[in-house]
Amino acid sequence: MTTTSRTTDDSPAVRLRGLRRTYGTGESAFEAVRGVDLDVARGSVVALLGTNGAGKTSLLEVVEGLAPASAGSVEVLGLDPVADRAKVRRRTGVLLQRSGFAADLTVRETLELWAATLSNPRPVSDGLAMLDLAGRADTRVGALSGGEQRRLDLSCTLLGDPELVLLDEPSTGLDPESRQRLWDLVRELRDAGRTVVLCTHHLEEAEALADRIAIMHGGRIVRDGTAAQITAERPSRVQFATPVSAEPLPAPEALGARHVHAEHGTTTVETDDLQVTLGALLGWATRHGVRLERLDARTASLESVFLDIARHPADDDPRTGPRPGDRALEGTAR
Amino acid sequence: MSFFAPATPSTAPEPSPARDSLRRLSGLVRANARLVVRNRLTLSYAVVLPVLPLLLVLAGERGEVGPGAAAVITVVMLALLFPVFYNTLSMIVTRRDELVLKRMRTGEVRDAELLVSLAAPGAIIAMLIAVVTVPAAMALGVPAPRAPVLFLLTVLLASVTLATLAFWTAAWTRNAEAAQLTSMPVMGLLVLGQLAVGFPDEVKRWIAFTPGGAVTDLVRGSWFGLGPDDDVPTMGGLDAWAGAAVPLLVLLAWTVLGGWLAARSMRWEPRS
Repeated sequence: MTTTSRTTDDSPAVRLRGLRRTYGTGESAFEAVRGVDLDVARGSVVALLGTNGAGKTSLLEVVEGLAPASAGSVEVLGLDPVADRAKVRRRTGVLLQRSGFAADLTVRETLELWAATLSNPRPVSDGLAMLDLAGRADTRVGALSGGEQRRLDLSCTLLGDPELVLLDEPSTGLDPESRQRLWDLVRELRDAGRTVVLCTHHLEEAEALADRIAIMHGGRIVRDGTAAQITAERPSRVQFATPVSAEPLPAPEALGARHVHAEHGTTTVETDDLQVTLGALLGWATRHGVRLERLDARTASLESVFLDIARHPADDDPRTGPRPGDRALEGTAR
Repeated sequence: MSFFAPATPSTAPEPSPARDSLRRLSGLVRANARLVVRNRLTLSYAVVLPVLPLLLVLAGERGEVGPGAAAVITVVMLALLFPVFYNTLSMIVTRRDELVLKRMRTGEVRDAELLVSLAAPGAIIAMLIAVVTVPAAMALGVPAPRAPVLFLLTVLLASVTLATLAFWTAAWTRNAEAAQLTSMPVMGLLVLGQLAVGFPDEVKRWIAFTPGGAVTDLVRGSWFGLGPDDDVPTMGGLDAWAGAAVPLLVLLAWTVLGGWLAARSMRWEPRS
């Protein structure tokens, strides 16, 4: 007994090792998740970020216990989501990317039904209040807007007072006000020590909510860390219209930049220290009387990192080079 | 206002698997029963259609066994076919298409509970029809059932059989329209039993092993005291129970087969 409770309490909320998931067999087999290692600490919010088809949903379904892993191991709250299904489900709340409820039940009846299936249900009135559905309590689900159905779905997810919440694209179909409500709920969950894993392709959502972001691409996690850590590896960027003056641009070293290149009439300078580079560049321009049209300077954003990753085909992404612990990258490159 | 307090899993009540299962099941059955009642078309198919054949009794002389037996067997067959089999099949397929089943399966509900709850409203309707048929048929001049408990047990067990066959059919039915076709094999197995009267003995012997054959034998015996080849009643209540062993085993065997096939092949999400 003591052994069980210790492993249950100290283990990460989610622990994945070498996780793979393959659809189909033989020639038509498709590997959607290609060796993922991930630890989600208890009480944290982790966002799985990725393009469509990056394998986020496939990965999450394994964590949810809806699909078995083809290889590797999954632990949820220290338990096996398939073998220890009953124990795990009692403590988790799941929101699928797409799901449905019987159209002919009312909102209240749907929550009552869901509550009847839970070991530890909150009052249905909480479920209505949590996502502002009280005014729609006696409306049939079929008559709800898409956003209202999504709110009902979320309300069911949270009705069992879960320790671990798995949300797949939660803000899909929500208006800005409801999305804000969702974000507030996620923050409340974290403040109460609950764990949230959030799949999203909204960078803003990941940045606003997540303690940690894991970027998936081609079935693998290619970046993992806080938003600051992920962007820190990336250079800042200065752009301006390539001046027509005869004066050649200074060498990258003189600007403290990684490199400088000009194409299509635009010069791009990439640097690890934006302030130094910008100062040097502006000093040079002033000294030579060069006017830098359309000058634009920015630090690396999550968006620039993400777009950079998304632009490259998954299998030969030059920047995914093998990293320690990333078994997927060894031996599977085509 | 905050909805969440730090998790305190230790205060959760000690889980009791049987009680928890019953609680989930009753919540699901209540919701599914509501849905059946709210769908007027399903409800009229389920309730009105099966009782109509009772009017066949009026075609014969009052108190005549032949038309009475034909009418009661037809009522039971239709009660098994529409509220139990077809309704369960179409509910599973429709809910699967709407991703309702997938959603339910993310929670604590077990697959078996989900399936049982989908079949329960139809099975309850079939039982109610069976109960109501007794006084209704007697009012129309049909003799009283000789072994009424066996008659009701027949309908109950056959409902379970047909429900598992509905689960199995749902496993390989693509969508609600396709169910009109995929329901044929099981419908055939059921209807065949009643048509067997007109077939040669060689064939009849085999038909007795279909669900429909077993139900026909059981209803004839339990209500009318008719043996498989009888035109006039020969059995009392106790004889009817004794003769029921084989057809009851036949139903049981189909139930096991249906359940086994369904467990192997069930699909919970629409094909993509």
